Amino acid sequence: MTTSVTPAATSAGTAAETFLSVRDLMVHFPTSDGLVKSVDGLSFDLQRGQTLGIVGESGSGKSVSSMAIMGLHWGTGAKISGQIVLDGTDLLELTPDQMRRKRGQDVAMIFQDPLSAMHPYFTVGNQIMEAYQVHNDVSKGDAKKRAIEMLDRVGIPNPDRRFSDYPHQFSGGMRQRAMIAMGLINNPGLLIADEPTTALDVTVQAQILDLLQDLQREFNSAIIIITHDLGVVAEMADDVLVMYAGRAVEHGPCRELLTHPEMPYTWGLLSSVPDVTGDTDARLIPIPGSPPSLLNPPTGCAFHPRCLHRDKVPGDLCRTTMPDLVPGQRGAHHTKRCHLADSDSIYQTEVLPEIAPDLAEEPAGPLVGEAPEEQR
Amino acid sequence: MFAFLVRRVFAGVIMLIVMSLVVFGLFFASPVDVAAFACGKNCSPAIKEQTRKALGYDDPTLVQWKDFMVGIAKGREYPNDPELREAAPQLVASCDAPCFGYSQVNSRTVNEEISKAFPITVSLAVVALIIWLTVGIALGCIAALTKGSFLDRGLVGISLVFYAFPTFFIGLLLLKFVSIKWGLWDIPEYTSIADGGVGAWLYNLILPSVTLAVVFMAAYVRMTRAFVLEAMSEDYIRTAHSKGLSRGRVLRKHTLRAALTPLVTMAGLDFAGLLGGAIITEYVFNFNGLGKLAVDANQNYDLPTIIGLVVLAASFVILMNIIVDVLYAVIDPRVRLG
Amino acid sequence: MASKKKRMLAVTAGALLASTVLAACGSGDDDKKSEGAGETGGTLYFNVEKPIDHWDPQRTYVGTDISKQSRLVYRELVTFGTSEDAVESAKPLPDLATDTGTASDGGKVWQFTLRDGVKWEDGSDITCEDLKYGLSRNFATDVIVGGPAFYILSYLDIPADADGTPQYKGPYTKKGQDLFDKAVTCDGKTITYNFNKPWPDFNLAIAALHFASPYRAEKDQGDKSNYSVFSSGPYKLEGTWEKESGGTFVRNPEYDKATDDTDSRNALPDKIVFKMGTKLETTYDAILANKGDAACTVSDNRLPPSKFSEIPNVQDRYQNPDSPYADYLWFNTKKLPLEVRQALAMATNREGWIAAGGGERAYTPAYSVVNPAVAGYKEVPTYKDIPLAGDPDAAKKILDEAGIKTPYKIEIRYPQSETADKQAAALKDTWDKAGFTVTLSPEGDVYYSNIQKPDHNYDVGWAGWGADWPSPMTVLPPLFDSRANIQGGSLGQDYGKYEGKAFNDKITEAQNATDLDTQITLLQEADQILADDMVYMPLEIAKFNWVTGKNVDFHTTPGSNSFPDLGLIGLRNGGC
Repeated sequence: MTTSVTPAATSAGTAAETFLSVRDLMVHFPTSDGLVKSVDGLSFDLQRGQTLGIVGESGSGKSVSSMAIMGLHWGTGAKISGQIVLDGTDLLELTPDQMRRKRGQDVAMIFQDPLSAMHPYFTVGNQIMEAYQVHNDVSKGDAKKRAIEMLDRVGIPNPDRRFSDYPHQFSGGMRQRAMIAMGLINNPGLLIADEPTTALDVTVQAQILDLLQDLQREFNSAIIIITHDLGVVAEMADDVLVMYAGRAVEHGPCRELLTHPEMPYTWGLLSSVPDVTGDTDARLIPIPGSPPSLLNPPTGCAFHPRCLHRDKVPGDLCRTTMPDLVPGQRGAHHTKRCHLADSDSIYQTEVLPEIAPDLAEEPAGPLVGEAPEEQR
Repeated sequence: MFAFLVRRVFAGVIMLIVMSLVVFGLFFASPVDVAAFACGKNCSPAIKEQTRKALGYDDPTLVQWKDFMVGIAKGREYPNDPELREAAPQLVASCDAPCFGYSQVNSRTVNEEISKAFPITVSLAVVALIIWLTVGIALGCIAALTKGSFLDRGLVGISLVFYAFPTFFIGLLLLKFVSIKWGLWDIPEYTSIADGGVGAWLYNLILPSVTLAVVFMAAYVRMTRAFVLEAMSEDYIRTAHSKGLSRGRVLRKHTLRAALTPLVTMAGLDFAGLLGGAIITEYVFNFNGLGKLAVDANQNYDLPTIIGLVVLAASFVILMNIIVDVLYAVIDPRVRLG
Repeated sequence: MASKKKRMLAVTAGALLASTVLAACGSGDDDKKSEGAGETGGTLYFNVEKPIDHWDPQRTYVGTDISKQSRLVYRELVTFGTSEDAVESAKPLPDLATDTGTASDGGKVWQFTLRDGVKWEDGSDITCEDLKYGLSRNFATDVIVGGPAFYILSYLDIPADADGTPQYKGPYTKKGQDLFDKAVTCDGKTITYNFNKPWPDFNLAIAALHFASPYRAEKDQGDKSNYSVFSSGPYKLEGTWEKESGGTFVRNPEYDKATDDTDSRNALPDKIVFKMGTKLETTYDAILANKGDAACTVSDNRLPPSKFSEIPNVQDRYQNPDSPYADYLWFNTKKLPLEVRQALAMATNREGWIAAGGGERAYTPAYSVVNPAVAGYKEVPTYKDIPLAGDPDAAKKILDEAGIKTPYKIEIRYPQSETADKQAAALKDTWDKAGFTVTLSPEGDVYYSNIQKPDHNYDVGWAGWGADWPSPMTVLPPLFDSRANIQGGSLGQDYGKYEGKAFNDKITEAQNATDLDTQITLLQEADQILADDMVYMPLEIAKFNWVTGKNVDFHTTPGSNSFPDLGLIGLRNGGC
């Protein structure tokens, strides 16, 4: 049906080698109430040194798909199909043990709440060391040295002393730094950061994002950053993938997508971002309604019950027919899943004046991208 | 840590003192005339009063309690009447500090009673603890790891059934069928290690320990399952998996460490409770531990034994509470004693 | 604490019942098919559920324990034999004494002479001083508690203190020792007891109770000696007695059969192992299943009714003797008019009561509060005339003729149990028909302490009693003499608060009787007075149900109070 296999072009636009290629990924959970399609036909590509931002509300499937890439769905009864090709290997075809060897080695993950993501009963150093030892046949002393090195690298002062502290003795930002140290200790090609700054103080958020960018440059890793915070995306991402009800609904280069969003859901996300520098006329417009049930997704476009613009589409198409993920008005590199024909102009004339009146006159201005910068 | 210990021990001692006073009060507030009970048939008032004196219940309650406290601190001599002790030194039973008293019903000091019964109760409690912890935790883990399967449901169901079983019923069943009807196991009679070696000691402890362990085991299967499941859903377990650790290693190192911590508290307190005597099991199997001693003391209205056992059992619970708290601080680095 | 109270009182009730000593017509089972007589040798196992309270002879008051002591370790001046005949078994036999004693001065002076060659387990002679010392221990009432000292304290010719107790305070403080030395004298091997009133059956009393047992002074440590056994009998204790687990008796080489003319101590097993604490269900499960040692096991805990159905399978080792107790109903004589008491008695359904309690294996009807095994037992015609099923019509007539308004409200009290509820319901049935409105008021284990209160206002209640020695003297006065129960002594055992001058006079007369036959006749007359005043209504005699291991040649006799008779029991088929 909808799973168009259109490879999204990267913002770099060059023929760089694709490092991660996800094709038609489906993660379905059979439950006693029926099949929950948490991720349904997701495709994207990512190159080394590049960052993909996945945004969406909770339940949109962004975390589930990253867990699928990590191979962490065993035991949950999830039915996973499609392809996740990492550096030439389809992860979905690996045995559990082969996948285990890749976890932490080739693909690592850091989590939202570093306090709950670290074991309270083991020292920080022990937990970081463990990540190294499991993939490298080294002595304890070497592993410890390496862990202290990493702690130092992520900017923890007195790393050899803090090595034997417990997570609760670290501050929130320090814990996240430690998590990053743990994730990067094996120098993985792909790092998935699931809401890495959400639980942190605003002032610390930017430091962490800076750190991630520094490390990405140093290790040339690919990063998937999962967030609901468009500010983080604007700061970090090269490409942005917007997910809704288990599907990609808009995909394109970061700046392009943020300045010329073509899908009403993306508009809604942008409307929900407070603009600290913007004038006081700017309105925060929350998306009406609540995320759809994945058990009984709405017919047609999954977003249509909450969409303010569906009557602009003739023939009740939004309610009856699921739109394909196809290039919009601005070229093949920017795909959208929406029946609206002239979405760009609707955005410029109807949406933008509401959310950023001062920018409405300059359609091409760098608008939203600035907001997160101010948040630093 | 030291201040914590001092404070807790001090509070514990105060509690024991109050508790002993309460037991004395309750004992003598009872409408039953203990002397008439001990005196039996054809008992005239004069003889009854003499019996009361022989039992050591002739002084006012508070005086008796004071004597008891003095005995704990300094030791005592029996019979209570100094004149009688002087006239007939052959009657004197001396009881060194901490003296819990002299049981007229059992014709020996409570300390002797306890020192005879305690090894039996400890043996029973230790073997039972080992059985219920190993089996209970193992089955609980299996149930948690196979959550939702028939195995899991079977284990949970069976443990629920066993949990509902009264201990004496399990004991009698084991005795009647395993020992008597099928002759698979000799009727257990406690044999100390000194008398029969570890083999005989263990052999005789198995049936009563299993009886004692079954109910706990059932509870621990369910608790372990719940705690393991809870731990498995923790973020840090996901973290551990994302590091590429094997399932076994995650379970052993990360999950169990988190899941078993609350079990330590419970096992500690359950064990402390058992040290006061496994009443029903000891009774069914005729093991003369503290529990049976307590039942007999209750039936015979034997105050010195009752009070001694209450204080002893309470001390175990208080002590074990302190130990568990300290242990908790060792296991969980977030806990600070203070 | 509440449950403690309950348990404790349960024991009180049990103790009152169990501390009856003398048994009765151990009507041994006629169908007994012996597989073979007991042989000498082997190890006999004796299981007891509740710990034995005492091995100290002066402190022992429980029938089965007295019997164990007599047969195994403690010889008395006189003892009971093993005859199965009630009259014969109630005659004392000379044991340590050369004869059954000589009474003089109208029964106020008794003399016994010790035999030659009777020895303690350490080889030393049993002396007159040992007898005297043993008796003296009864007077140390603040040390030697729990025993049957009551009798000797009131009979021995020693002046009383203001509180009514003898001025002699026992061998420990030695206060009043000279008074005792005057009342009990030794002349070589002859001991003389002086009483303040006639005691025509003193020798029965010392055969039945061990208050006069000899005791070696230097072995006496008071309460610490409670579980010491210093034997004069065919067995001695090996090691120590452990209250909770028991002990083992082995042969006593110092015991010389030639000095023992009684038939009471065949002493067949080489070893007798007492095991305390095994639940009686477990003991009988093992006996019925014939497992291991169980084939050589005896218990003095009765077969529980739940296992009666197994009896046909073990008929060859089953016995069903009458117990030495009698159960009765007492009537509150201060509250209920005579005609009401008579009507209640007339409508008492003993048949229904027995049927509800387990039938003829469990009970046999009673016609007096005196157990038939007691010497001088006589059925009371009044009770014999009441139909076993009760006669509600006749009862109604009694009420109508007396002009008593019916329905008449009656509350019956009894210690609660499932069986007792059914039994009480059987009583209610016929009583209701006779014109009463009966309420069942079962009580918990506080029952006995409640009915012993002098100010209770209950109507009717259940009670049981057994004689201390085979004389109605140990039944009627302790239960119904108002001078001992209500005034003065206050034994509190006269639950119906009966005060009968005619009865008391008869008792006085009997107490002063110098010969036994006169005394017994007077007591029989006293019992009739009780029936005429309708003070109590006899219900039944409980029966014991014994099953032993298949290699046990089992015996129970009146002399062993219908408990297992260790004097006769032996092992057959080679033991275990």
